[in-house]
Amino acid sequence: MIADPVTAAANRLQALNKALTTKAAIAQTPKELVWTLNKSKLYRYVPVLPKEKRHPVPLLLVFALMNRPYILDLRPGHSFVEYMLNKGYDLYLLDWGVPGPEDKNLKFDDYTLDYMPRAIRKLKAISGVEEFSLLGWCIGAILTTIYAALRGDEGLRNLILLTAPLDFSNKQSLTFARWTDERYFDVDKVLAAFGNMPGEMIDYGAKALKPMENYVGSYVKLWDNIDDPRMVEGWHAMNTWVTDNVPLAGGAFRQLIVDLYRDDKLMRGELVIRGERVDLSRIQANLLTVIAEGDHITPSCQSEPVMSKVSSPDKELFRVRGGHIGIMAGSGASKYTWPHIDGWLGRRSQ
Amino acid sequence: MAEDPTQDAKRLDPMEPWRAARDSYMEAWGKTMVDMVNSEAYAQSTGAMLESYMTVSAPFREAVEKAMLKTLEQMGMPSRADVLSIAERMTNIEMRLDDLDAKLDNIQRLIVTVGAGRRSKAGKAPQPSKKKTMKAKPAKRGKK
Repeated sequence: MIADPVTAAANRLQALNKALTTKAAIAQTPKELVWTLNKSKLYRYVPVLPKEKRHPVPLLLVFALMNRPYILDLRPGHSFVEYMLNKGYDLYLLDWGVPGPEDKNLKFDDYTLDYMPRAIRKLKAISGVEEFSLLGWCIGAILTTIYAALRGDEGLRNLILLTAPLDFSNKQSLTFARWTDERYFDVDKVLAAFGNMPGEMIDYGAKALKPMENYVGSYVKLWDNIDDPRMVEGWHAMNTWVTDNVPLAGGAFRQLIVDLYRDDKLMRGELVIRGERVDLSRIQANLLTVIAEGDHITPSCQSEPVMSKVSSPDKELFRVRGGHIGIMAGSGASKYTWPHIDGWLGRRSQ
Repeated sequence: MAEDPTQDAKRLDPMEPWRAARDSYMEAWGKTMVDMVNSEAYAQSTGAMLESYMTVSAPFREAVEKAMLKTLEQMGMPSRADVLSIAERMTNIEMRLDDLDAKLDNIQRLIVTVGAGRRSKAGKAPQPSKKKTMKAKPAKRGKK
């Protein structure tokens, strides 16, 4: 039976209005707050399997500084966190929070040598184990890599890097590098004005890489599928995350632009964190690097070279079809990326 | 067997050719725009726009900040810098508390380890401990 066209149009407009003007229910997996420092919070997800069925080595998730980490737990049935809990992991999430004006001087040094070691100490105390695994995504992968090089001997067994922007030598492939070139972009002037790098500016930068897709295509896709509640629900949740921007602490932003995008110090072994040189060859943990083949934010040339720099005897490079976020939060994530991470990590978490 | 009306609707959708044309148009535009944002000229122009915004807005921003600072001072209210300084000190205090928490955790772990060690010694080797007390007793008697 063909629906009344007026009712159908009204339903469509109602669905459109809801998707565009409200926030979806996200991050619903139960968790408890176990540690805080400044704006940072460490959560432990409530395990769903009994202790004897769980992996003894806990996993700590570290996401980027300028986006909300709930992309890892987007919505029930489409959540990496939920998937890994069901596979028996003792799961922790380090949420960096929203930096305020008083945090404008926070640098990678603070995040990797103050916040991360303290959160990991708490994780060890709660789990009662000395070894743990780290999963870093995007800027979170930069932080986990620095941590692994400087403090990797403090119990880090497995390191998973997702779409990790570590090598900045291929300037031609990096649009961000062109935009933030010192001839056109005065990082100190911007930070003197704003303190922290505003989330809206970072969001504009990310979206402007593919303007047509992000500013037009996404909404066209929603309208085309407006009669499909499942698709609308997924779009709504993703839009909630995409529009929930977080500023990046000024000190960390300056390091990202000057030390990494311009001078490529990490890969050249010249990055100094609180007086210590970050030597990637000191990384000995088992390493899984995941590359998104369609990633326009972190192209594969930024993640591949780390494989030859680390000393890990056990390392694997895994390529998966999809974009920067899609490989972990898209429709194919539960078929390809998550099972691969579980398969790799499960064998190394006994 | 009844036919699925939605399949009929899909087959007869008059908008489909329009949609296909729209998608190919958007794809072409998308490629053009990606090329554009990747160009040196785009980087230069956005840099120039940001620079001019900063240059124009800086005097206004500074004037507002100065005026606000004076107003707060006259009203006996803490300035933005005062509040930020307190927030920074709070973070330092939090760090010291975290250090204390770490030390307490260590002490607790040591107590548990020592306690467990004593319990296992007492449980696993009762004979030697008895012998020790037996040996000790005659010595005391001897002294008396």
